Formats: sequence, C-alpha cells, structure tokens
Amino acid sequence: MTSAPEVDVKQTQAYLPDFCAAGTVLVILLVAELVAIVLTLAAYVPGTFLTELAKMSMYVLWLALLGDAALCLIRPWAEKQGHTQAFVICFVVLAVVCLVLAELSYQLTGIFAEAVIINDSHGGFLLRTFAISTIVIALAMRYLYISSEWRRTIQLEAQSRISALQAMIRPHFLFNTMNTIASLTRSDPQQAEEAVEDLADLMRANLGVQKDRTTLKEELEVAAIYQRIEKLRLGDRLRVRWDVAELPMRALIPSLTIQPLLENAIYHGIELLPDGGEVKVSGKRVGDNLEISMTNPVATDQRRKKSGNKMAVSNILQRFELAYGHRATVDVRESETEYSVWLKFPCDETGA
Amino acid sequence: MNVLIVDDEAPARDRLRQLLEDGGEHVVVGEAGNGREALELAGKLNPDVVLLDIRMPGLDGVETAHHLNSFDTPPAVVFTTAYDEYAIDAFDANAIGYVLKPVRKERLDKALAQAARLGHNVLGEVAKQSGIAEQRQHVCARLQGELKLIPVNEVHYFLADQKYVCVAHKNGRDLIDDSLKSLEDEFADTFVRIHRAALIAVSSIGSLQKTEDGRTRVQLRDPGQDNNNDDGDGDDLFISRRHLTDVKRRLRKG
Repeated sequence: MTSAPEVDVKQTQAYLPDFCAAGTVLVILLVAELVAIVLTLAAYVPGTFLTELAKMSMYVLWLALLGDAALCLIRPWAEKQGHTQAFVICFVVLAVVCLVLAELSYQLTGIFAEAVIINDSHGGFLLRTFAISTIVIALAMRYLYISSEWRRTIQLEAQSRISALQAMIRPHFLFNTMNTIASLTRSDPQQAEEAVEDLADLMRANLGVQKDRTTLKEELEVAAIYQRIEKLRLGDRLRVRWDVAELPMRALIPSLTIQPLLENAIYHGIELLPDGGEVKVSGKRVGDNLEISMTNPVATDQRRKKSGNKMAVSNILQRFELAYGHRATVDVRESETEYSVWLKFPCDETGA
Repeated sequence: MNVLIVDDEAPARDRLRQLLEDGGEHVVVGEAGNGREALELAGKLNPDVVLLDIRMPGLDGVETAHHLNSFDTPPAVVFTTAYDEYAIDAFDANAIGYVLKPVRKERLDKALAQAARLGHNVLGEVAKQSGIAEQRQHVCARLQGELKLIPVNEVHYFLADQKYVCVAHKNGRDLIDDSLKSLEDEFADTFVRIHRAALIAVSSIGSLQKTEDGRTRVQLRDPGQDNNNDDGDGDDLFISRRHLTDVKRRLRKG
C-alpha cells in the first residue's frame, strides 16, 4: 500500500552494485587506473615510464569500461539467477569480454599502429591479458560478494529485531486485559465486547505487520486503541493529551513506534503513580522533518529501575537508523519527575 | 473467612469480589486501591485474608505484606498477579499462596484454603528471589495500634535500644520492631554502621568531628534534627574505633 516497502525489497535483493551508476563507473575507472600503474611499475624500464603508462592505461581503461558496460546490460537478468549465480555469471562475462577485446586490440594495432605497441606474440598477448584480467576480476568479484553478504546479514538482523519487537506486547498487558474483560463480562457486557474488539485489532497490528513503515494515521490509530484498553483498567489515573493535529497524517513512520512508547509511558510511569498522571504526546512539522515527543511523569520514590524502557527505545533507534540513516534522531530526556522520548525524522509522504 | 481485596485496578477488584460472592463461603469486608489504604483498612477491619496485587504504585504488594506482618494478629496473605515470572518461582519455592490473573474460581478457592501467615524472613527471601523490590521503601512504626509508614529516604539514623530500634527521621522519632542487624543487611547501600547500636544514613552525615578525648563524633547534615526529640538532648553519635575506617571509606564514595 505504500511505496516504501518495495524500495526495501529491492535493496535486500540487490547483490550486485548498480554498474550503470556514475559513482560505480568512477570507482571502476580508479581501480583500473591503479591496476595500470601497478602493471607499468612491474615492467619498469628507465626513461619510458610515462609513455608506457599511457599505453597501458588506454588498454586497461578500454577493457574496464566496456566490461562495465556489459555488466550494466546483463545485471537485471543476472540478478534474477540467484545470489552466487549472479557473481559467477558476471565473472564469466567479464573474462569473455576481456578476451574478445584483447583479440580486437591485437588486430587493430596490427592494422593502424606504425610503431609496434604490442611486442609479444599473438597467443602470448591473449594469454597475458586473460590471466591478468581474470585475477583482477576474481578479486573484485570476491570483494563485492563479501560486502553484499555483509549487507544482507545486517539487514536480516535488523529485520529479525523488528519482528522480535513486534511480538513484544508485554504478557503483563495481555493477562491484565483478559482479567479486565472477564470482569466486564458481567458488569458491563457491552464494554467487554468493545474491549475484545479493540484487543483483536491491537493484536493484529502487532502480529500481522510485514511492512516496515506505515502512515502516521494508522500508527496513531493503533496507539489510540491501546489507550482505550488501558483506560478500562486504569480509569481516571490515565490521561493522555494528544497534540498531533499539525502532523501530516499521510506521512510515513516506522510501524509500531508510538504504541510501544505509550506502553512504556504507562508501564514505567502512570502505573507506578498512585494518582496516575498525564502522558503528553506532541508532534509538529519542522521544515522537512517531523518531530514527535512523548512525555510521562515518573514516581520520584521509584527505586526499581527496569531495563525494559531502554530496550524499547534502543529498538526504535535501530529501526529509525535502518530507515533513515543519520537523518533521524531518537533522544531520551530524563529528570527527577519526567521521562520523555523525542523522535525526529524526515517527512516522507505516501505517493498515493 | 473475611477477605480484604487490594488492587489498584477497579475491574480487577470487581472480578475478585464477584468470584468471592459467587462462592458464598467468604465475605468481602473491604477493598483498597493501594498498599497504604490496605494497611489502614486491615488495621480497622481485621480481615482473615488479604488478597494483594503485587504490582501497585507506592507500596507494592510484597512491601505491603511486610508491613501487614507487623500487626499483632497478622492476616494471611494471598498474592495476585498478571505475570511475574520471578515472583512466581519465589512463591512456589516458599509455599506462598498466589493466584494468576485472569483469576479462576477454583484456583482462588485453593489459594484461600492454603493462605498462610508469612514471616519476615520468607518475604525477604521472596523479594530477593523475585527482584520485585529488594528493599522496602518504608519502615513501619506502631503507635497505639496505629500504623505509621516512614519513608526510608527520610530516615537519618537507627538507634538500637534494649528492646526496640529507635528511628530518627525528618519528622521526629519512632520505635520499630525490626532488628538493627536486619536493617543493616537490607539497607547496606545507603546506611552505614557507626557503632554497635547505631546505623546512620550516609547522606545524613554532615561532617566528622574529633572530640577532646580523642573520639570521633558525627555531625548531622541537618543539625536541627538533633534537638527534635522531646527530652531535648540529642543523641551522641560516636563512631567506634572498629567502624571508623569503614565510615570514612563510605563517605569518600559519596
């Protein structure tokens, strides 16, 4: 339903770098030039270094650029063949391209060059080119393979953390809610009915989410459902002030951000205060960014420090980093009487 | 049996009341929304059993049970909880009655039947094992049957008398039943022993003074406190030679 998940799917599938992109071409040119320098230095003859380097560079760059062009063309198809296969295909294609170009160069210099550029036999020249290029290509492919493996592991880790978090509605909450419903079944059947519906919606949001990001509208709805359920239990002790009207409701936010924060605010804040308190949620748009903060009062004599709070926040931080890189920040501000979490992230709106 | 229900959530109290009234064998004599209220009501109503929620604001269930124990005829206690893995292990290990929410009628009946009067040491064990609250946040004094909770962070020092321990705190002084040894163990991180019969809050120590006869005396941070007691003479808080290095080390640590 949003464009964001498709982008992510593409990223997880991309084993090979985009050979058509200017950045990649530049890196390839640099590496090719380095190879040319190494080769020229290896065959160093006094007084001829620069001319030799020029000839060598021309030949190596020619191979590199045309090789890159070939990869640019076959990449979409190679990508579909699977992870390891993609690299094998690229390796073979590049080796063939180099061999063909070497033959072509040999023929061309034979026709056009007045001076002998290639002072080697036909077969020897082809063999040398083939050997050097396969070694360089093999090294490059190995490097790309490992870095793509590494990227994939990181993404998988992040993904698994997301699912762990999504499954992490506190058992405490679940059992307390069941108890509340059991109680309401007799005293107020209609409210019990609503509570069951709310709980079902909440569990669906918690269990079923496959997408990484959702709209603010949906995210706030899930939080509101959660608030309704907790309100049955805590009564007047729980007050929540939503100051989010300024937020663009179609903007995207990593899913299950607001609700877990509200859950924390209640579990670590409101529940431990005999008279309860008010959770303040405010959001606004600042330039291209959205800022959302959640503040809850804390009991001053509260000596039990639980680690749960920090875990939920660090989980949100990780997911924000994955979604936005350094463009998002997650801050915790703590005082004697208040605890607040501040989120700042770029405002991406749905295309729809 | 007369039962007092203690839970900070109204629907949870309703549920227990419904179940108890269904059975007909038990009488709900009262309901309390927090630990403090529970202690007051328990003093007035003398219930046989107190159904105590563990997770409550202010005084939690385990601490409330602690204080209930200092009654002359302490009521039996059954804990209720939605989900406290560690506490439940501790309850099982110490044969303490508990019911899990959502509460089942049969389970409640069984727990009430085996409700027990708990000793301080058992509760201390439970607190330690479950990590709910390793320390109480209050000590409990009794004045003519009235219960008085003194927040531990307002206590300046404990002084052992022959039979009781005297608590000097922000708002005066009271007598409590706990032994100095158990207080020392429980509040080891905030209190330090200065001599055989005195335990002082590290944060209450203002300075150390050498007297003419070579002894070391504690000057309290809040000197007005010294003259708070009715007879007008402040306690002389001398540090015994044996405890001096320990006290100095604690002061350096802050």
